[in-house]
Amino acid sequence: MPQHEPSALLHTVEIVHWIALGIMGVVYSIRVWWLLRFRATRDRQAPGNPERTNARKGALYSLANVAMPWAMESTRSKPFFYATFVLFHLGVVAGISLAFLSSLAPAVVASQAYAALSGALLAVAFVVAVGRIVRRLTTPYLRLISSPDDYFSVIMLTFWFALAVLAQLYLAGVIQGEGFLVAFLIATSFFLIYVPFSKISHYLYYPFTRYWLGRTLGHRGSMPTVRA
Amino acid sequence: MSSDSRSYKAQVLAELLSRKLTRPLVASLVSCVHCGMCHTACHYALADPEDPRMTPSYKGDQLRKIFKRNHDWTGRVVPWWVGAKAPITDEDLEALKEIAFGTCTNCRRCTFNCPMGVDTASINRTMRGLLTAVGVMPEGVRVVSKDQWEIGNQMGVLKEDYLETLEWLSEELVAEVGDPAAAIPIDKQGARVVYAINPREVKYDPRTITNAALIFYAAGEDWTMASDWWDQTNFGLFSGDDQLGGTAGRRLFERVAELGAEKLVISECGHGFRSTRCEAQNWAGVDVPFVMESAVVTMINYIKEGRIKVDRSKNAIPVTYHDSCNLARSCGITEEPRELLRLVVSDFREMTPNRQENFCCTGGGGAMSMSEYTPRRLKSAVIKAKQIADTGAKIVATSCHNCVDGLSDLIKYYKLGCQVKQLVDLTAEGLVLEECAVRRTPRRVVPMPEPLPEVGPAPARALPLAGRTVLVVDDEEDARTFIATVLEDAGARIVYACDGDEAISVAKRERPDLITLDLSMPGKDGVEAFTELRHDPEIASTPVCIVTGHPEFRKVIYDRPVPPPEGYMDKPVEGEALVKNVRRILETAHAAA
Repeated sequence: MPQHEPSALLHTVEIVHWIALGIMGVVYSIRVWWLLRFRATRDRQAPGNPERTNARKGALYSLANVAMPWAMESTRSKPFFYATFVLFHLGVVAGISLAFLSSLAPAVVASQAYAALSGALLAVAFVVAVGRIVRRLTTPYLRLISSPDDYFSVIMLTFWFALAVLAQLYLAGVIQGEGFLVAFLIATSFFLIYVPFSKISHYLYYPFTRYWLGRTLGHRGSMPTVRA
Repeated sequence: MSSDSRSYKAQVLAELLSRKLTRPLVASLVSCVHCGMCHTACHYALADPEDPRMTPSYKGDQLRKIFKRNHDWTGRVVPWWVGAKAPITDEDLEALKEIAFGTCTNCRRCTFNCPMGVDTASINRTMRGLLTAVGVMPEGVRVVSKDQWEIGNQMGVLKEDYLETLEWLSEELVAEVGDPAAAIPIDKQGARVVYAINPREVKYDPRTITNAALIFYAAGEDWTMASDWWDQTNFGLFSGDDQLGGTAGRRLFERVAELGAEKLVISECGHGFRSTRCEAQNWAGVDVPFVMESAVVTMINYIKEGRIKVDRSKNAIPVTYHDSCNLARSCGITEEPRELLRLVVSDFREMTPNRQENFCCTGGGGAMSMSEYTPRRLKSAVIKAKQIADTGAKIVATSCHNCVDGLSDLIKYYKLGCQVKQLVDLTAEGLVLEECAVRRTPRRVVPMPEPLPEVGPAPARALPLAGRTVLVVDDEEDARTFIATVLEDAGARIVYACDGDEAISVAKRERPDLITLDLSMPGKDGVEAFTELRHDPEIASTPVCIVTGHPEFRKVIYDRPVPPPEGYMDKPVEGEALVKNVRRILETAHAAA
């Protein structure tokens, strides 16, 4: 842990990034309200296969899909890609945790165990993110479907992971320079405000999309899926 | 972008999108992260890896771009940043048509492989529906939709042809089993089961009807077929037209309810089953008082209940099963066909992948009616061809008529040397009639039916509409002159009217054989005039062919509480098509009279 007291600049950016979190929360609340303003659907038909499944089972299976790489051919047949997906998102969790714990519980993030785990996750996520940039740039069908937001989002996250690694090292006392933490928190603030307007807000929609798909297909009898 | 710069159709499309947005659809539109995981789920993309446009998310993006441009915050403020873009010209809409209809069969395989749960198939169907609503669709889709709206089935099978077919099938079956009780019952009030079929069965595959009838007979079932609204298929699923989907479904539901049946058994058809069993109630906004069941389930139950007996050794050739996308992925029917096959064939081999992971036959989503995309369809079929070849089976069984056509086509193209059969065929072929329920009671012996007398060809007419009088109603002089000239050239006598009031008075005075009616006219418009015509006993039975530049008025006309028009054509109308339609209407009206 750094031996000196937080500077006024660090104190300010900490406040700013809490404000950014508040803004994100407000925007996300509006996003959810906006989504729920659209017409709800209703399945009038009788249940398709009530002996095997139903809307509830389908919805739960669909929601749990993210943790079941065996459930879909696309993840089952690409275990490496799935592993990178998990590591990338664990890196995001580690980065967000670092941003808030650095002011809420600085002793925790400075501990050796935390620093090792968090630093490793962030470093691996950084490597994965670089790989994702390369993949997006070199795969023709990904280039075709990618918008500037797609590129910017992954580049921004890559940059953010790099800053997070440096901030973690600073907080653990491995390297010197409060500027790393300040830069990381500024990047986090920008991240928090930008995210609700970008593709990164997919995680907000995930439960809704998955729930509605699973509910419908479960009611019809085709989710959970049946494999030979 | 100013909305003024958009073509009329592009503006209407954007407006219609607002009405189609539901929570699940919007969630699918906002959730795609462009990860590309769907790429390897699509048979088009796998068969054509060099073409990045085959990626499902690219196809979904076509509607996503429009949605973002019109409804998403970021897309409205900085559209280029998130790839938001709305179509501007009619050429843009044509390009969208190529993607929505020509590069996707809405098989839903990508949906089941999307980590986010994005239902790209539903997005694509919505895109199709929007294009259809503004009249931008492949010709095949237009023709089939028109037949389903106007004639009541998607293949334009006339009632007399349908009934004649059932009659000779019935006679054949009676002769085959030697029992008049095997006759196909039509409109039997109070029958326990109504059996609804695919018009393809009447037109190209009548043996499936006979086989089903044989099974119903063998099981001693109290069943019937309806004389009208008998089509269980629904092109609304393919065209994305929920109004057509709802209307077609409602017609069938009402007919079954009128007949007082407990159960509607749906013949083997993937999209027909999905439309009727899973979608049509939602499209039509109605609940039904009877049970709906796939014929596959019906056959299994008959075997389990001991009502029919099947000898598996009669079907000894190796059989594999192709899961219809609509049955497996959208209706959860994966185990029932396998259960039945294991009861009726002796060498069943699984295809890999199978069930909800099976690949599309390539004939789904109405692809068989869009001949302009055939080369691409057959190219994408290489995936399915390999699946089939790997099984070593000589028969590909499937529970879907679209799949029968799609598979037959690719089997021929890739020279696989196997045939396609439906489960009803295999069940009927394995039937041991002597041990079925119907033979447990004494059987009457009946004489063979008399052969029908030969009928000579009808004398040819010099002109197709000679001797007919047609009232042409249109406020636009150009349109009126064009229609009149075309029909006059075909031999008809023409009388005119420029608005609804005049149309009614001329119709009463001249008593035409047919009226062509424009809808949008000053004064009394075509919709009002049509309703009034139908309420006037003097002229109520005069056939009416709507000729309009407003395809969106179709529902308004067909939802009137009066008999529907006999024809409905969209402007601009082609001369040949006009004569053909008028002639068909007159012949149908004559036959009905």
